[in-house]
Parts: sequence; C-alpha cells; structure tokens
Amino acid sequence: MTVRLAGVAIFMIAALYTWYGRDYTASFGDVLGPSVFPMIVGIPAMILAASLVVFPSGQVSWPPRDHMLRQVAALAILAGYAWLLLPLGFPLATFGLIAGLGIVLGGAPLKAVALGAVLAPGLWALFDQVLGLPLAVLGRWFG
Amino acid sequence: METFSLLAQGFAVALTPLNIALLLLGCFSGTLIGALPGLGPVNGVAILIPLTFAFGFDATSSLILLSAVYFGCMYGGRISSILLNIPGDEPAVMTTLDGYPMAQQGRAADALAISGVASFFGATVAVIGLTLFAPMLARMAIYFGPADYFALYILAFVTIGGIAGVDPRKTLLSALIGLMIATAGLDPISGIPRYTFDNYHLYDGVDAIVALVGLFAISEILMLLEKAARDRAAPIGLDSWLPDFRQIWKTRWAVLRGSVVGFVAGVLPGAGASLGSVMSYSMEKQASDKHGTFGKGDPRGVAAPEAGNNAASGGALIPMLSLGVPGSGTTAVMLAMLISLNVQPGPLLFERQPDLVWGLVASLYLGNVALLILNLPMIGLFSRLMMVPTWALMPIVAAVSFVGVFSISNSVFDLELMIIFGVLGYLLRKLDVSLVPLVLGLLLGGDMERNLRRAMSISDGDWGVLMASPISVTLYVLTTAFLGLSVWLALRDRKRQQARVTEG
Repeated sequence: MTVRLAGVAIFMIAALYTWYGRDYTASFGDVLGPSVFPMIVGIPAMILAASLVVFPSGQVSWPPRDHMLRQVAALAILAGYAWLLLPLGFPLATFGLIAGLGIVLGGAPLKAVALGAVLAPGLWALFDQVLGLPLAVLGRWFG
Repeated sequence: METFSLLAQGFAVALTPLNIALLLLGCFSGTLIGALPGLGPVNGVAILIPLTFAFGFDATSSLILLSAVYFGCMYGGRISSILLNIPGDEPAVMTTLDGYPMAQQGRAADALAISGVASFFGATVAVIGLTLFAPMLARMAIYFGPADYFALYILAFVTIGGIAGVDPRKTLLSALIGLMIATAGLDPISGIPRYTFDNYHLYDGVDAIVALVGLFAISEILMLLEKAARDRAAPIGLDSWLPDFRQIWKTRWAVLRGSVVGFVAGVLPGAGASLGSVMSYSMEKQASDKHGTFGKGDPRGVAAPEAGNNAASGGALIPMLSLGVPGSGTTAVMLAMLISLNVQPGPLLFERQPDLVWGLVASLYLGNVALLILNLPMIGLFSRLMMVPTWALMPIVAAVSFVGVFSISNSVFDLELMIIFGVLGYLLRKLDVSLVPLVLGLLLGGDMERNLRRAMSISDGDWGVLMASPISVTLYVLTTAFLGLSVWLALRDRKRQQARVTEG
C-alpha cells in the first residue's frame, strides 16, 4: 500500500512539474528552449510512478508508534535548531541540539546534557577559534 | 613514459606540508568514520565537504582530504566487522562472515592484520590501475561530442543502481527526481527562472552539497531512531596487534584475486565497493573453499573481500575523474564537491589541471602506506574510539552537518532545505529507492540539459543528431542491453518469490 501511495504522490508531483514546465517559452537563438528538458524528465517520471501504482513492488514496514514519535521529536529538534541558531547564538543552540538529540536517541538525560554542555562550547572553540569559521557566540536575542 | 614524469610532478604536489597534513588527517578520520557503525564513506565524505569549502582549501587539497577519508573508511569498516560483528559500513558486510569467527577463536589480531594488508594490496592495485587506465579513458573521451555526453549520462543513470536486487523502475525514478530538482533555478541558457516559485533562494538552484548532507546524514539519524535503542555488545578484546606473519602470506592468492575482481567491479558504473567485496568473496569461496571452512573463520574469507572493496573504491575514481560520471555513491559525492569548486571532471581535466589529477594519484599512493602503518599498531586506539555510543555520536554528526551547511551561505533557508532533504531521503530509503541515482541526477542534470541543447543547436533542431555518431549509438545499445538485463532479473526474482509464496 505504501508503495502505491508513494507512486501516487510522485505521479502528482511529476504531473505538476510537467504542467508548469510546459509554459517556459524559448528565447530566440535557443533551438530547444527551456521547456523541452522538463518534458523529457517529467513524462517518463509520470509513467514510472503510474506503473508503481499499478504494479507496486517491495514491502515497507513502518516503525512502531513510539519510534515514530521519537522521529518527529528529532525533526522538531533539528527544525528548532535551524530557526533558533541565529536568535540564540551557536553555543546555546548547539547545546540544545546535542542534549535533545542525545535524549531522543536513547541516551541517559543527564549524560546527554553533560555531553551537550561540553561539546557545544568545544565545537564553537574548534570551528570559530581554531578553524576560523565565524560563528556568533551570542545571538540576536542577547545583543 | 609520460605518465611517470606526470606522476613525479604529482608527488611534488602531494608532498607539500599542507597536503601531507590533510592526507594524514583524512586517513585517520576516515578510518574512524569507517569503524564507527552508522557512519560510512558516503555520510562521512558528505559531512566533510562543506567544511572543506569553509576552510577555503583549493580543489586539489580538498580532493586529497576527501579521497584519504574515502580510502580510510574502507580500512576502518573492517575493524567493527571483525571485533563487533557489525559492519562499520556497507562494503564491510562480507568481512563479518569470516572475520568475526576468527576473532571469536582468539585470532582477532591475525584477522585485523590480514585484512589490513589485504586492504593495502587491493588499494595499491587500484591506484596503479588508476595511474594506467584513467589517462587512457580520458584520451578516448576527448572524442565525445555533446550528443555523446547526453547518451553517456543516460547510461550512467540506468547503470548506477546496479543490477541485482532492486526494482529498476525505482532506480530510474530516483534519477528522474534528481533531474527534476536539478532544473530548479535560473535556466543556464535563456536565464529565465524555472520552478523557483518566486523564492529568490531558489534562483541559484538547489545546492547539491546541502541536498547531499540532508539525504545522507539527516536521513541516517531518522533511520537509527527506528531501531530500538539498546547497547551494543562489547567488542572482542585484543591482546596484541602483532600478527602471525605466515598467516598473512598464506592469503596471498586470495588477496590477488580479490583485488583484480574488486578493481573491475569498481570501474564498471553502478557497482562500487559493496558489490566489489561481495563479488570477491563469492569468487574466492568458489575458488578455494575445498574443506567448507569459509564462514567459520577462514583467513582467505577475510582477505578477499577486504582486497576487493579497497580495489573497487579506487577503481570507482577512474570513471569519475576521466568521464565525469561517478561509479559509486561516494565518488558521486566527491563529484559534487569538484563541481561546487568549479572543477569539471572529464577528459579535459587531465589536460587543464594535471596537478589536481596527479597530485591526487600520488597522494593515494602515500595515503595507502600511511593507512597501513596507521592501521596496524594503532588498532587498539580505533577499537576503543569505536565504542562511542550512537546517542553521543549522531548528535555530533548533526551539529557538524549544520555547521558545514550553514558556513556555505550563512542562510537559514539552506538549513531548512537540508532537513527537508533528510526527510525525503528517509522516505525514499524506506521505499527501497537508492539515493545515489538521485544525487547523480541532481549533479549531472544541468550538464545533461546543456549538452542536449548544444547538440540540438548544432543540428538546428533535428533530433536525429542524438543518434548520429557511432559513440552515442554504442552507448544507447549498452543502455538498452543493461536495462533489458535488469528488467529481466527483476521479473525473474519476482517469479521466484511468487513461486515461494505459493509453495509455502
């Protein structure tokens, strides 16, 4: 079932892709124009995706619910890091990332927090001080 | 003898202090990345690429660093295979079959030394092959026109997924998804924006490096979260690293056969190191398993796949450098780095940037020696570092990935894109869709389209130009044959499975 659903999703994306690509009009001097290649890519993708809907292959076993929750939690931490990196600054955001992911991955909470507390400033020192990548110590919210 | 003078020039490049330092750093971290379960050559190289950009190394130095990591991974993978019965990376799977039994019998030091020497020999065969054959292939490729390149790219997409095991439709679909993503951004010829949805971040297209780190590193975290979190078994202890050298000498034919088989598998598109080690092991088993000792701790069963995967990983560099078409996942990732540094691999690379090509080749000779020296006495250090638990390792991987990607453009958009690609990579892996064709499509898409449009401009819109040269016709014939073979194999597997279902 999952393969069929994925086939439907990819078919829709490929169809939208092909539909959008149709309208890119050629400027003069360019024989093929910008819309032919998307057609060459989009149409076979639609055919292959459709064939997966009709003749699916392979089984997909999804993880149990509690593991899915952990995956969602991990994604939330990753997204939170992306959005909070500039407001919080590198060391603080990275501390949250390492401690959070450590706990989600099954580490003991105290150990994960300790790891974050050691590594976040450590990585900042390594990248910013030693290797010369500029990474803000304090984010927008603090200065 | 031109090759030798070029190689001498290469050693001059490789022996600069910076390049030696990067080589040693790469060898060490590569061995460690290979040894750590959960981190393989593709993830390791993908994470390190943005960092090499950030430090502003030139293309030669970056390539030396990443190739050292790549070769080091092949050495490192065997350590956890032998001591933990967990392959450190995919190509090391075969090494567990005889390596772990050997370690259980108290011959861990022998197994490690045999596999280390086999790795050295296999990789050296591959580098010699690279020295001899890559320039030859590059000279042939000079005659390729735009239409021929278009045909070559199609062949690459069809073959990169390999032959056995996977549904060929999924491989092709993966490549097509990559090509779709590659068309986003300003059209290279007419300059109109395509699929940017008025988001100015997308005008430059999707940065292949950002996509790669997401696809490989972030999706790996999601894959790990699926499994139950539990502690790994303790590794088998090591009393000494000094092996019985007669044991090593006994495996010489296994090493030789494994190296040759692995090298051929590596050069062929779509095979790579994993298939190289599988093929070497099964060949060796057929050739010398007379008493049924394979799988129970036969030293030859350790030597052959290790020689094979190291030879294959070197062999895979040949099509990447001389044609610009990578033969494996990791070389695809290295191609991404070269393209991002404005180095276009292919036949002209050998003429325009001999320093890069020959500096790399010379570094690989040196790196092999360094890896052998590093891997014999320091094995105890690696086996201790290998025990870093997953819950501590993966957050570090995530943090380093973020730093690397953020340092490319300082944009939060790239971080978001990386996470999105991580989810995409996870979903595709769950569906048994290989990610390597997608990466290849993303990397080669722009070039493929440019070559098509150039060919069509030359012919003034006549599609016949695509089949006009003997080279392109040969490539299409190969593509069709390969596609036919893989469809036939997939159908055969399916029939067998159905037969098994009805029987049971």
